[in-house]
Amino acid sequence: MTTSLETFLLIAPEIALVVAALVVFLAGAFANLQSGWPVAVAGIAIAMFLSGGTPDDGGTVTSGPVSIDGFSLGVRWLVLVLGGILALVQSGDTFRTATSRSGTALRWGTCEEAGTFLLLLAGLSLVGVANDLVLLFAGLELVSIPTYILLALKRIDARGQEASLKYFFLSLVASALFLYALVCLYGIGGSTSLAEISARLRSPDDRLAGMATVLLPVALGMAMSGAAFRLAAVPMHFYAPDVYEGTSPGNAALLSTLPKVAGIVVLLRLLALGTGGAFGMAGAQAAVAGPAATAYMTLFWQLAAILAGLTMTVGNVMALLQTNLRRLLACSSIAHAGYLLVGVATAAAADSALSGRLVPGTDTSWTSGLGGSSATLFYLATYVLATAGVFAALTYLGHRWPEWSATAGSRPPREEISTVDDLNGLSGTNPVAACSIALFLLSLAGIPPLPGFWGKLSLAITALEVDWNSSATWGSRRAAFLALAILLVINAAIAAAYYLRIIAAMYFRSTKRGVQADGGIAAGLAMLICMALLIVVTFQPRGLFAASSRAGRVISAPTGTLVAPQVVSP
Amino acid sequence: MQPLFPATLLVLVPLLPLVGAICTVLLGRRLGPRAHLPAVAGIAGAAAVALILLLTTYAEVGHGGAHSEPVRPVEMITTLWQWASVEGTPAGEGLTSGAQQGFSIPVTLRLDPLTATLLVIITGVGLLVAIYSIGYLHDDPGYPRFFALVSMFVFSMSMLVAASNFLLVYVFWEAVGACSYLLIGFWYSKPEAARAAKKAFLVNRVGDFGLAIATFLLWMTYGTLNFHDTPNSAIEGILSQTRLADPGGIVGGVIGTAICLLLLLAACGKSAQMPLHVWLPDAMEGPTPASALIHAATMVTAGIYLITRCAPLFVACPGALAMVSIVGATTALVAALIATVQNDLKRVLAYSTISQLGYMFASLGTGTMLGFTAAIFHLVTHAFFKALLFLGAGSVMHAMGGVIDMRRFGGLRKVMPITAATFLIGSLALSGVPPFAGFFSKDEILATLHAKAYPSAHAQEHGDLPVAAGADRSPLHLAAYSSDAHAATPAGAAVGLDSLNTPAVWQTLFWMSLVTAGLTAFYTFRAVFMTFTGPVRVPPEAGHHAHESPPVMTWPLIILAVPSVLAGWLLFSTDALAHFLSATPSLWAESVRHTATPLEFHWDLAIQGTLAAAIGIAVAAIGHLGRRSDLPQMERYLGPLEPLFANKFYFDQIYQALIVKPLEGLALLAALFDRSVIDGLVDGVARIPVALGSLVRNMQSGLLQRYALAGVMGVLAIVYALAWQLRG
Repeated sequence: MTTSLETFLLIAPEIALVVAALVVFLAGAFANLQSGWPVAVAGIAIAMFLSGGTPDDGGTVTSGPVSIDGFSLGVRWLVLVLGGILALVQSGDTFRTATSRSGTALRWGTCEEAGTFLLLLAGLSLVGVANDLVLLFAGLELVSIPTYILLALKRIDARGQEASLKYFFLSLVASALFLYALVCLYGIGGSTSLAEISARLRSPDDRLAGMATVLLPVALGMAMSGAAFRLAAVPMHFYAPDVYEGTSPGNAALLSTLPKVAGIVVLLRLLALGTGGAFGMAGAQAAVAGPAATAYMTLFWQLAAILAGLTMTVGNVMALLQTNLRRLLACSSIAHAGYLLVGVATAAAADSALSGRLVPGTDTSWTSGLGGSSATLFYLATYVLATAGVFAALTYLGHRWPEWSATAGSRPPREEISTVDDLNGLSGTNPVAACSIALFLLSLAGIPPLPGFWGKLSLAITALEVDWNSSATWGSRRAAFLALAILLVINAAIAAAYYLRIIAAMYFRSTKRGVQADGGIAAGLAMLICMALLIVVTFQPRGLFAASSRAGRVISAPTGTLVAPQVVSP
Repeated sequence: MQPLFPATLLVLVPLLPLVGAICTVLLGRRLGPRAHLPAVAGIAGAAAVALILLLTTYAEVGHGGAHSEPVRPVEMITTLWQWASVEGTPAGEGLTSGAQQGFSIPVTLRLDPLTATLLVIITGVGLLVAIYSIGYLHDDPGYPRFFALVSMFVFSMSMLVAASNFLLVYVFWEAVGACSYLLIGFWYSKPEAARAAKKAFLVNRVGDFGLAIATFLLWMTYGTLNFHDTPNSAIEGILSQTRLADPGGIVGGVIGTAICLLLLLAACGKSAQMPLHVWLPDAMEGPTPASALIHAATMVTAGIYLITRCAPLFVACPGALAMVSIVGATTALVAALIATVQNDLKRVLAYSTISQLGYMFASLGTGTMLGFTAAIFHLVTHAFFKALLFLGAGSVMHAMGGVIDMRRFGGLRKVMPITAATFLIGSLALSGVPPFAGFFSKDEILATLHAKAYPSAHAQEHGDLPVAAGADRSPLHLAAYSSDAHAATPAGAAVGLDSLNTPAVWQTLFWMSLVTAGLTAFYTFRAVFMTFTGPVRVPPEAGHHAHESPPVMTWPLIILAVPSVLAGWLLFSTDALAHFLSATPSLWAESVRHTATPLEFHWDLAIQGTLAAAIGIAVAAIGHLGRRSDLPQMERYLGPLEPLFANKFYFDQIYQALIVKPLEGLALLAALFDRSVIDGLVDGVARIPVALGSLVRNMQSGLLQRYALAGVMGVLAIVYALAWQLRG
């Protein structure tokens, strides 16, 4: 593993992000730059320019700890587009108390916020390209640490501080657990290179099996927990409602999207260790997978499936009782982490029979050839689009006046829009925002023909395709995935209840209280961009399907013959 | 290559009224009292174009003279776009040929003599009705809505007769039904109007159901729904020239009979034939111009059109054909009997419409060329004189302040002379008095039925080829071999119905029709005498403006009176219509063509028919001429039959008891079940997630240490479970 100039060329977009971050930091401190967000958006645009066109099919370029393939390019594009939207949201999202109505007094943090945000994006993109345990972990920490700062910067009241502290400590626990998982993987592979770990894991060496029975459960359990924190999945989901409620809508937009991308990317990268797909294995090396790899994959899908079932259900039933909007959306984001884990489990269960259907270049119909990982990525994209859109709209709406009549004395201070009831009658006061929120929520609920529906449909279909030809006897893999698909559908039905409650509040209730819409034009623009993208995907989902299919195929590349799992006593 | 000229024009016929309707909807409120402009302009344009198309088609067919040369089929197909297209499956999967070929619905318009004729009727009568309505509805609050709907109707109806695909026919079959529903319920705040609209719609749905099933069966049988041949497809269109030239091309047998009976059911719904006739009298709650256009002249003839268009299908199934005649003649008689005791002028006309449509059905059912052309001939003349009568009734109603009960006014010939004169002309035409229009068309229908009832007489009369050829290859014969060739089922399965096709049955039908002719004259002139003769009486609702209607209303009456007098003689004497129609591919079909007989004027039948009309008029004159219309006259002689007729043979009551009440009971049960059991279950299920949620919520303590602890414990539990499972 040597690092050369080529390595830096490969991660030019990430470097551009970091450079832009440095420029913002310095300009804010020394050049009296008023707002860092324009620079941030410019930096993202440059990074987009540098990352070039769409990912090529199949090719993998590895240099040092960095590996560029269809997957990492897909992730990079997702991160950059999402980053652009979130930058717009964040720029309008400043914490203003009633006393400083204009808000100018507290805009001092804008350059720091913008720079930190750029670093976060760079970290997330690095997670996508990492081909090495160290870079993977460094990337993840580069996601976490800026998040702490952003949480702490945005809100300086007690609740905001409580939220950022909660996030900080629990995130540390999760990082520690994840680091432990990486140590175990190093123990198995004897190297920090993912490709080498994969090669060793897949080697048909019986001596490995003994070690695997000890190390693999620990490694996978810890890794899954680390990812679960970022996904806000059971058992690391507790923080989400408290933190979302305590922080600003813009930060909630960030928390509900970027860490989830990180979690899914990490899980799929680790999954690729078993399939060997992402590491350009060919010939004899790819043809056979050893018992350790088989055990790894089996553990992976079982774990993901259990967490998926729990997470979906817990998130949705919790959301049913929420009246606070951000708490509700936090619970909803937990539920969506569950749906995403269904896709991860499906991807892990993909064996040669299923992978055999993934013939590159021939899948004109989206249902054939969309593996679990592709479905996950598709769902991830539709989810982040809709969620970022909702929070963009909430940021844009900002505050509203409390009920007040001229005879009742002086006008009370404005209130932040925080509960479902605060949205009452929005269709009358701000029809565009109401319509777009309704669209985002309907997409999240999975109502056809919105993108969320395509996502849930592909997740359910790929889950049902697991072991399609075998019978669903009790305890079989097919039965498990059948149950998972059914649970997904039931959960989607439960979820519709609370999404529709918000829509009903906006459209069927009336109010005398006006909405301020003081969150800035940028947030409104972000909302409209999300809506436009949503509508495009609604009517032409094939493009996004093709893109996620290209990226996902890297993970679930043909795995060769998996050797039947052998039970070896240590 | 299709000639561009008629193709573009054909599209214009439906398009102009559609544009008119859209403009009326968009601009209606702004135009205010001039809201009729877009609709009238659109329909007028369509009428002009339809006339050009008729002349073009006529020139194409050529004037046959004395059948000097055989008629060529004339049709023009314009495919506008593909509405839906499903690719076929590879052959050899045990599917029908249609599934292999895929399924495509082209939006295709056709022009042939039948379509051209009907387009002129639809747009022509539509135009006159629209002009008339300017006066009739001049201060109605729904003025723009009315014109939008009439325009929409003209669009839908033109599409219905111009469509070249059963699915499109179905679509516009529904569309005209919807327009009819909206126009019957035009005064929707009137409960009777709302109820009548609902009734019309629901009864029509029964027929539509028949059309839907027939469409499915047609697709299953033929693998296509197109009338015409589809380019690049091996499947011939159902009514295409290539298929019709082939004597075995049409499927008979059980399937064929089922299709025809379902089509007949559809036609019965739209054309108000028994047992689905109950909606039409109630439909008179709508504005009178709408009744004239939709419920007299055009929409109700959709059934006639459908059967004529599908003539080859029916000819292949003699049992179904006989059913058409039986339904028609029975309806004609029953409706005429009911009409004799009605006191509402519009209802008399409504039952008369049902009765006349019954005539047309009876004529269609003979399955001969003469039968089909006579039905269309009667359709044309009927459209003129019945529209005239309806508009006349509307004129009376307009003058009488909305009163239409004939017992409450009388002697109006002095008050409104133009209306009286034109109404008299219409009545003479309807009664079949020579030389008015109705006489010739009715005479042809009677001749058709007579030929079927007494074939030997006609064979002797002609003594040569055509009928002999017809006897040689009777429809029954045809059906037998076509079903042998195509259907797997034996032809004998349809024999139950085929046995209806006997001279005794046809003789009964002929005499029923003759009696109906007399009854028609009676009830028509009963209405004329009650309304226009006797001492002048005007109801108080009329106020001071009991006067002749404005010119915008009387001019359409005068214009319609002209063809009511002349059309019959002109079309009959030249044989132009029959010759023209025989170039329609459906009627050109081998199985229909061979039944063609040379033009013949049957003096005996003409005398019989005229005699019947004269007796009817005489009886009406004895009872009502010059008498006060509010005194019961003829009714007292009917004795026990009077309540039977007055209650319309108790059809409504029977339907209410046998169908409506049980369904309402069932609906009530279902509603109860839904409210108690289903809703209870659903609510119960919905409580489960909420209960779960409150359980989970207790874990959200907000305490950081507990979160961390729960997370780590969860991880440990997972790791332990996995390790345990891996050990086995």
